[in-house]
Amino acid sequence: MSCLRVLILYFNTMKIFTALLLFFFTAGKSHADIVVIGNLKNNLQSLNSVQVEDIFMGRTRSLPNGHFALPVCQSTLRPVFYQKLTTKPIEQINAYWAMLAFRGQISPPMEFPDDNSVLSIVNENRDAIGYIDSRNVNNSVRVLLRLN
Amino acid sequence: MIKAKHHVLPFLLSVMTFVTDVAIADNKLSAWSLKGFGTLAATGTDSNKIGFYRDKSQTQDADSGWGITNDSQLGAQVDWKANESLQATVQWIARDHAGNFFEQNLDWAFLRWSVQDDVDIRLGRLGVGVFSLSDYRNISYAYPWIRPPHEFYSTIPYYHIDGADITKKFSIDDGYLSVKLYGGYSYNQLPTQTSGIHNQQSPATGANISYEKGAWQARLGYTYATITSNPPIQDLLTPINSPLFTQYWPDIKQLIPAMTMRGKEYHFGSIGVAYDDGIWLSQMEAAYIASNTLWSPPRSSAYLSIGRRISTVTLYSLFGIAKTFQNDVNVPNPLVPNPALLAYQQQFSRILNNNGINEQSVSLGARWDFYNNMSLKAQWSHYWLGDHNGSRQWQQSVDNTTPNAVNVMSTGIDFVF
Repeated sequence: MSCLRVLILYFNTMKIFTALLLFFFTAGKSHADIVVIGNLKNNLQSLNSVQVEDIFMGRTRSLPNGHFALPVCQSTLRPVFYQKLTTKPIEQINAYWAMLAFRGQISPPMEFPDDNSVLSIVNENRDAIGYIDSRNVNNSVRVLLRLN
Repeated sequence: MIKAKHHVLPFLLSVMTFVTDVAIADNKLSAWSLKGFGTLAATGTDSNKIGFYRDKSQTQDADSGWGITNDSQLGAQVDWKANESLQATVQWIARDHAGNFFEQNLDWAFLRWSVQDDVDIRLGRLGVGVFSLSDYRNISYAYPWIRPPHEFYSTIPYYHIDGADITKKFSIDDGYLSVKLYGGYSYNQLPTQTSGIHNQQSPATGANISYEKGAWQARLGYTYATITSNPPIQDLLTPINSPLFTQYWPDIKQLIPAMTMRGKEYHFGSIGVAYDDGIWLSQMEAAYIASNTLWSPPRSSAYLSIGRRISTVTLYSLFGIAKTFQNDVNVPNPLVPNPALLAYQQQFSRILNNNGINEQSVSLGARWDFYNNMSLKAQWSHYWLGDHNGSRQWQQSVDNTTPNAVNVMSTGIDFVF
């Protein structure tokens, strides 16, 4: 019985802890815009949402200027990014990409853990295209589209 | 079996976390990537008189004793990117397949050369793309059902072809049109009604056109294949060619050309339409398969599925129908009504007339995406089996008294990483 009580206490504590975490994690972040960014050496000045969707849904492999696109994802923002772009939840996007990737058609965009790593990848590769929280953008990259 | 799931799930979650950690360990673009997919599913029926196969490449059927091999599999894929236009891919799947476990389960091993951004050439072992779902039948996470529609997909148990394909993509009117041509040599090891495995060899060529615009997709496909091998029919040929049969039953030799497969042909034609707006999803395909082999008679099949997503749950229904068109094979009478010869006549007649398909089904099911790369599915299917429904999709009991209806229940977890 005492084991059971300890377990219940443990789960209740975890519930409160998770709720607090969620509160602090989502507070202040929920209204952030996402910006799609490109490399400064690429002559691409902007993209519209259809062009970005075609690239990040694997429908096309090239940028409008003809270069092979190198799309990269930011893992934490990925669900929000795809929701804003396609209105579909991440489960449907994952199922769609599983279909493309495992039939050997096209690999999904590589994922990076945070805005800083996406910034450095885009900064180092001429044809890279990524997305980050708009508050973390700096002048090492070019903003191609703002999603809000 | 159920207990095993409790141990497997945390294990799979930890493996996935590990793989993800490795993939994003540094902030460099890697030339290598490792991905995987799998399904852990249990399948059972309400009858012991007939066994259910997902398709006839499998060696184990499911009956009322349930089984986990019908719909479970675990696959891994390694991609290597040499540069922006050259990539190598290898995919191997652990699943129940007759023949060589390593070789037959290697579905993809190819080099892809992107000649232009809209032209791809692939060379090596490729998934067979006869119908819409053919080349991702094992990726259960990518479709709503527990398995591809049985009437449509269980009769083509071919998973790979060694050859090449070329795909050209056109951007037309806000949509994308893809044209694909392929050709190669298919080697598939398949169980047979007679003893042994048919090491089926067949050169095949085909083409398909698909158009995708918004929520809609349409597809037309055609494949032509010739068979260059024979099934293991020695058990039938040995008595037919014996001196006893030659003397007392000479007409039986007329059947030999029909029993061989070498030189026989297949034509696969199909049309499909799919719709998915994120809430409603629907898919249908219809096919006609022409062939002149007795073991796999000409047939038509079709299915229609309609589903509705409610948050992370998808409810779906599925209707399927398949029917073969072939007259009964008449086994000629022996010159002398000897009981032993008459018993052989019955046996020949049973084996040669056991290749038909006459099946309809309705399925209801649910998919719950309980995690962003995992889903839980449950499906109930009711099959009506008509006259001449044979052993191409089912395991029949020895006395051949097959029921004319059977329920198949399945539940499973799909995941990708």
